[in-house]
Amino acid sequence: MNFKQKLLVASLVLGFSQLSPVAYAADPIKIGVSGPFTGGSAPMGVSMRDGVKLAVAEINAKGGVMGRSLLLIERDDEAKNERGVQIAQELINKEKVAATVGYINTGVALASQRFYQEAKIPVINNVATGSIITKQFADQPDNYIFRNAASDQIQSHMIVEEAITRRNFKKVAILADSTNYGQLGRADLEKALDAKGIKPVAVEKYNIKDVDMTAQLLKAKQAGAEVVLTYGIGPELAQIANGMEKLGWKVPLIGSWTLAMGNFIDNAGKNGDGTRMPQTFIQDASTPKRKAFIDAYVAAYKPSGGRMPSAVSAAQGYDSVYLLAAAIKQAGGTDGPKVRAALENLSEKVDGAVTTYNKPFSKTNHEAITADLTVFGEVKDGKVILAK
Amino acid sequence: MEIFLQLVFSGIALGMIYAVIAFGYQLTFATSGTLNFGQGESLMLGALVGLSLVGTIHGGPYMGYLLMIPLVIAFGALQGMFVEWIGVRPAIKIKSEFGWIMSTIALAIIFKNVAENIWGKDDLTFPSPLSAAPFTIFGANVQPMQVAVVVGALAIMLAVEIFNRKSIYGKAVVATANDRDAAGLMGINTGRVITFSYALSSATAAFAGVLVAPLTLTGATMGASLGLKAFAVAIIGGLTSGVGAIVGGLILGIAETTTGYYISTGYKEVPGLLLLLLVLAIKPSGLFGKAAIKKV
Repeated sequence: MNFKQKLLVASLVLGFSQLSPVAYAADPIKIGVSGPFTGGSAPMGVSMRDGVKLAVAEINAKGGVMGRSLLLIERDDEAKNERGVQIAQELINKEKVAATVGYINTGVALASQRFYQEAKIPVINNVATGSIITKQFADQPDNYIFRNAASDQIQSHMIVEEAITRRNFKKVAILADSTNYGQLGRADLEKALDAKGIKPVAVEKYNIKDVDMTAQLLKAKQAGAEVVLTYGIGPELAQIANGMEKLGWKVPLIGSWTLAMGNFIDNAGKNGDGTRMPQTFIQDASTPKRKAFIDAYVAAYKPSGGRMPSAVSAAQGYDSVYLLAAAIKQAGGTDGPKVRAALENLSEKVDGAVTTYNKPFSKTNHEAITADLTVFGEVKDGKVILAK
Repeated sequence: MEIFLQLVFSGIALGMIYAVIAFGYQLTFATSGTLNFGQGESLMLGALVGLSLVGTIHGGPYMGYLLMIPLVIAFGALQGMFVEWIGVRPAIKIKSEFGWIMSTIALAIIFKNVAENIWGKDDLTFPSPLSAAPFTIFGANVQPMQVAVVVGALAIMLAVEIFNRKSIYGKAVVATANDRDAAGLMGINTGRVITFSYALSSATAAFAGVLVAPLTLTGATMGASLGLKAFAVAIIGGLTSGVGAIVGGLILGIAETTTGYYISTGYKEVPGLLLLLLVLAIKPSGLFGKAAIKKV
């Protein structure tokens, strides 16, 4: 072997030994995003995605996580369970994501997340609220499903508390849509009412895209309801508010957080004023962190009129990425079981838009949002403000 | 009693919407034996074009509600001609039995996607030309716009019927409907009559769109379920009878609201569909339809 050959071999060996760690470090961490970016729940899905993108852009601008940048793989699940399942399989098997954030629709989350559970890949639900979501695999030794959204259990308690205790209504009607979301929420509401010894005077159901709510509202009206509690999404909720005007019957509307959606507020117009709903985040710069988040969001996505289509979804989407990034950093890699363990025992305080998370999760508690982080919002003149 | 009246009034307003769309199905079926399965999408496009003209979404409002109606009808007519040209004419030419089904459905999906791109995926509010405050008839509340829907629907169907019976062009339509081959031999350009019937059909749907839009919400997905229910109405009433469309629409509309109240809102779609099955089993040509004898 002459000198030249030796040099060649040496440089090759050196080159390889250097190449691999460099390539490893530059390898981005893939994070899946699954949510409905089209259809009736699109305002939530798109806001969530924008919040997620904002957080990822901020983290990458600061050099990523452990020197690796974050790469989002976004997929539109169209709020359809079967699409959600396909996307879960694609993200796990083809894209090999380190974790997935998202899910707006409880049904889609329940159908899809079993694949993550089997593959030992963590999921952070940042919008879907069905109480059972984080408990789907609670009986298994390790649960990979986390959430940083106010569950229906929290929300239904707050709704009932507001209607019965604070505003002293005795006769309540429940209107819920026929989806998983509406029906699971209705069950939670009935349970919460039952705990107060109250039986709703009317419990009615409607379908997505229904244009006439006369029958449901008439039943509530005939039963003498003093307040209508709702579980549904924006467009149909607007039909309820507008349907009340049609009947010349006006009682307060209190319902789940979806009453803050832009497509409810716009379509209900003045009929929506005074409507109240639990919120984890209101577009109101009450803390410096919130102000920075709102300003960055409005600057990046320029929502019409400066109003975020679903501020809660955006804030929770934003926070979910920071929680995940902190866990990956603590785990020292993207190994699923290690990230899960890190999430369950986060040593770092995570400063998010909703709150500063201090040990948000534990082995048995996979819910980051508690009742005292949730406030009541009220619709007023086309905006959601903090209810007094 | 007031409750029942209230339900019936709501049912009538809902039913007349179904009736107008069902009427559109009949127009094309009569002349060509084909249907535009994108009828709901024609309604949706009409409503959205109307919204662009009278609403603020595209820099408007450009005009008042009444002025907008003829423009929307003209737009609907063009859209119907387009559907016939792209989707139906080739199928008729090669005497395909089913080609037009797939192509009108495909066009419907394309129209929906186009609408999503132009008007967005969200439901929008259509400014109501009349006051939204209800007035009372026999203790039941009725919105002025609901009355306008019923009157408008009846008016457009009446106008089409008078046109068909009185004018020479209308007679060509009726002749083609009765016997396309014979009409062709008599010198009627049946191809043009079919195009015309599609134009008429989509124009009525577009008109129905701007009628219902102030009552419901306007958006790319508003047409699908309305189009499907109207199809059920067309089958119940009979595909060859204008009166059938009205009666079928009223039956379905009132059945939906009354079932919702008296039985359960969870079952409100069921009676109408049961009726559909019953009609298909007992009188397949529909309540008012003429039984067609198919000569092979």
